[in-house]
Amino acid sequence: MMGRIPVTVISGYLGAGKTTLINNLLNGNHGRRIAVLVNDFGSVNIDAALIESEGEDAISLANGCVCCSITDDLGTALQAQADRPAPPELVVLEASGVADPARIACHAGSWPGFELDAVITLVDVETISARLTDKFVGQLVRSQIEAGDLVGLTKTDLVPEKHLSAVYGMLEKISPHARLLHASEGSIDPLLLVGLGAASEVNQRSKETSETAHLYTAVWKPDAPLRKVEVERRLERLPETIHRVKGFFIDADTGLQMLVQKVGKRCTLTPHKEINPSGLVLIGVGGRSEVEAGVNILSLAAS
Amino acid sequence: MSEIVVYTARMIRTMNPSMPTATAVAVRDDQIIEVGTLETLQPWLSQHPHRIDDRFADQVLMPGFIDPHLHPTLGALLLCCHFITAMEWKLPDRTCPPARTHEEYIEKLTEIHTGLSDPDEPLITWGFHKIWHGKIDRETLNAVSSTRPIIVWQRSFHEIILNDAAIDWMKLDREELERHPQIELSSGRFYETGLAVATNRMNPYLFEPTRYKNGLELVKKAIHHGGHTTIGELAYPLMNDQVEWYLLNETMERDDVPFRMQIVPRGALRGTWEGTADEEVARVNDYKTRSQHRLQFGNGVKLFTDGGFFAELMQMQEPGFIDGHHGEWLMAPEMFETLARAFWNDGKRIHVHCTGDLGVELALDTLEKLQFERPRVNHRFTIEHFGVSTPEQARRIADLGALVSANIYYLHELGEAYWLNSIGYERASQMARLGTLARHNVTTALHSDFTMAPALPLNSAWVAVNRIAESGQVLGSEERISLDAAMRAITIDAAYVIGMENEVGSIRAGKKADFTVLEADPWETPVESLKDIPIWGTVFEGQVFPIDQ
Repeated sequence: MMGRIPVTVISGYLGAGKTTLINNLLNGNHGRRIAVLVNDFGSVNIDAALIESEGEDAISLANGCVCCSITDDLGTALQAQADRPAPPELVVLEASGVADPARIACHAGSWPGFELDAVITLVDVETISARLTDKFVGQLVRSQIEAGDLVGLTKTDLVPEKHLSAVYGMLEKISPHARLLHASEGSIDPLLLVGLGAASEVNQRSKETSETAHLYTAVWKPDAPLRKVEVERRLERLPETIHRVKGFFIDADTGLQMLVQKVGKRCTLTPHKEINPSGLVLIGVGGRSEVEAGVNILSLAAS
Repeated sequence: MSEIVVYTARMIRTMNPSMPTATAVAVRDDQIIEVGTLETLQPWLSQHPHRIDDRFADQVLMPGFIDPHLHPTLGALLLCCHFITAMEWKLPDRTCPPARTHEEYIEKLTEIHTGLSDPDEPLITWGFHKIWHGKIDRETLNAVSSTRPIIVWQRSFHEIILNDAAIDWMKLDREELERHPQIELSSGRFYETGLAVATNRMNPYLFEPTRYKNGLELVKKAIHHGGHTTIGELAYPLMNDQVEWYLLNETMERDDVPFRMQIVPRGALRGTWEGTADEEVARVNDYKTRSQHRLQFGNGVKLFTDGGFFAELMQMQEPGFIDGHHGEWLMAPEMFETLARAFWNDGKRIHVHCTGDLGVELALDTLEKLQFERPRVNHRFTIEHFGVSTPEQARRIADLGALVSANIYYLHELGEAYWLNSIGYERASQMARLGTLARHNVTTALHSDFTMAPALPLNSAWVAVNRIAESGQVLGSEERISLDAAMRAITIDAAYVIGMENEVGSIRAGKKADFTVLEADPWETPVESLKDIPIWGTVFEGQVFPIDQ
């Protein structure tokens, strides 16, 4: 089916920084029409100047975004978004602090009309080691880290470097090759958090290579059809600092255009009906040389 | 002042250990004046107008039964469905004979289908269980009808099977169902998050006001037929205070309703938490002003630790589940502690939903902290459900002065299934370890958590005394309790758990004139037949309510 609404799940235990992240996203300038579904409506804090209208369970923003309370039932909240006259481009879903994100991802990502974009798990580096050994929530916090396609580390500015490397070690043990991001002050660049939007945005992006703050973007344009298995193999080998890949190529075996979406460890290749210029956009954090290395790795798929 | 009515009976089991049996009870208006024999009642009778009512000469009177944990609003949904069950279910408006084989299941389903006059009415049936009924799938249901939507709700509510007409009726896009990992379109099976997709489409139909009100009427009858005169609604509101309060008032606060309901509010409206603990305490205290005659708010509050027992989402201590999955928390442990502290310091009676042994552990750790910070006696902190626990926890419950309200039916329905598929024999056979509680003198009530178990106190007592599992074998014989303890658990000890022991739960001077009228004496009935004792009816606050046959 065409036109499923992607869902990005924001997971993390109490105090991990989900609310701050969501407030930043709602107040930020990302140019996307996003519906943010939250549990605790009371803690949402939006600049009054951005608010267009405010109801009991929903706030509409002037930039086309909405923020809604999940109230009782996730399915009902999702359905309400799908049924809007102009459905959102993307749903960002705040999982409850005690939710198993894998279960939420299955619930939301399989709901008719929706598909999973990514699970982003936030980890408070100050408290994580205590959480992981807690007899009641240790297992839960572990499963949240395991389920994260990207793991955002919050409050990194509040701990010494030594502590931080101990946290890296801990996370590496729980989720080998975890894609770790710094989310100091509860902020993750929207480009990483919600990725690129519709094909037109991908096309636009693929015209340039860019660099903003600590984010590096590179583009690879295959000039011929590619074998799907070969692309999959190359995508797996990308440096771990490349957090998102999105774009199109022509499958040499079927002649169909394929849509590539990779977020952290999660990668999906699906046939795409509309024809777009071939091109893959890579977004990473390591540095210019690393995203360019990524392009080189992918280009081997063509050989 | 009204005339005294003296009920004489073949036997009166007072549940007051100081005078366990009697043959006459004097009632004035809604109150018991005295219990004893016609001779011992004379000082009252010689001074006041009275009449002797011997209609119960062949029956046995007990204190009105109490189910301290039941959900009328959930029951209303279920009772509107057609029952096709492996066990006989006696319902207020029908008795459902058992269907124990695939053939009997199909025969019964076909009979219901052909009996419906509206050809488009969806047929929603509950009770399917593959152990008895074998393979029921989309094609089997299509063979019964290709045009009527047929919706088969599995007995434990966690799976639904649809025929093609039902899939069409729900207006579900088959391409979207095809890719769902928890929907098997070929067999018509929807489970877990897939089930949520189906129920989302069914809800407008299930909650349609006329249908729902009819369901509540049936629940009222079911509560009466079980012999109850007091119930606890243990988590109010279910979803929406305004709507539920309106409906409860309409249906329950009426002179023809033979029971009262103590409503225990949720300590937080949702698992996720808005507001502060102080606000929650204020909200809970606010409800009290609404108390009426039959609908009463007491001093209780409900909190939650781990997930549902039927859904296998209880939190288990090591070694956990055989398949390695994990349970869930309904409230974050910190949130649970913060709320428990606020309600504890406000002097509330805290009821905690706990299903697995890690859930029990969290409740007990928290209680111990609160006792250290601010000791309370007679606090009646109650562990609700009590699925899996350890013997050491039972002892600690006693040491901390906590109580238990157990869903003993888990053992009957799930004991063998969880032995084979979930947690193994040792722990499954010891679920709801009432024997250990009794050895530690923990006051224990039995509840149905209806719709999780039938709302039949004698049935719950039967499981507690016999520990007979679904197939008929005894599981965990060391955890059986005595008949006395089981009968206390549906009367005086149940009253104690919801703080109503001074008004109800036994037959003694000064209490409400609430009786359950039995056709046989439980103490003269073989314990294996306890559940089969017919109930003649009840007396609620002095008013006689026979069960119409």
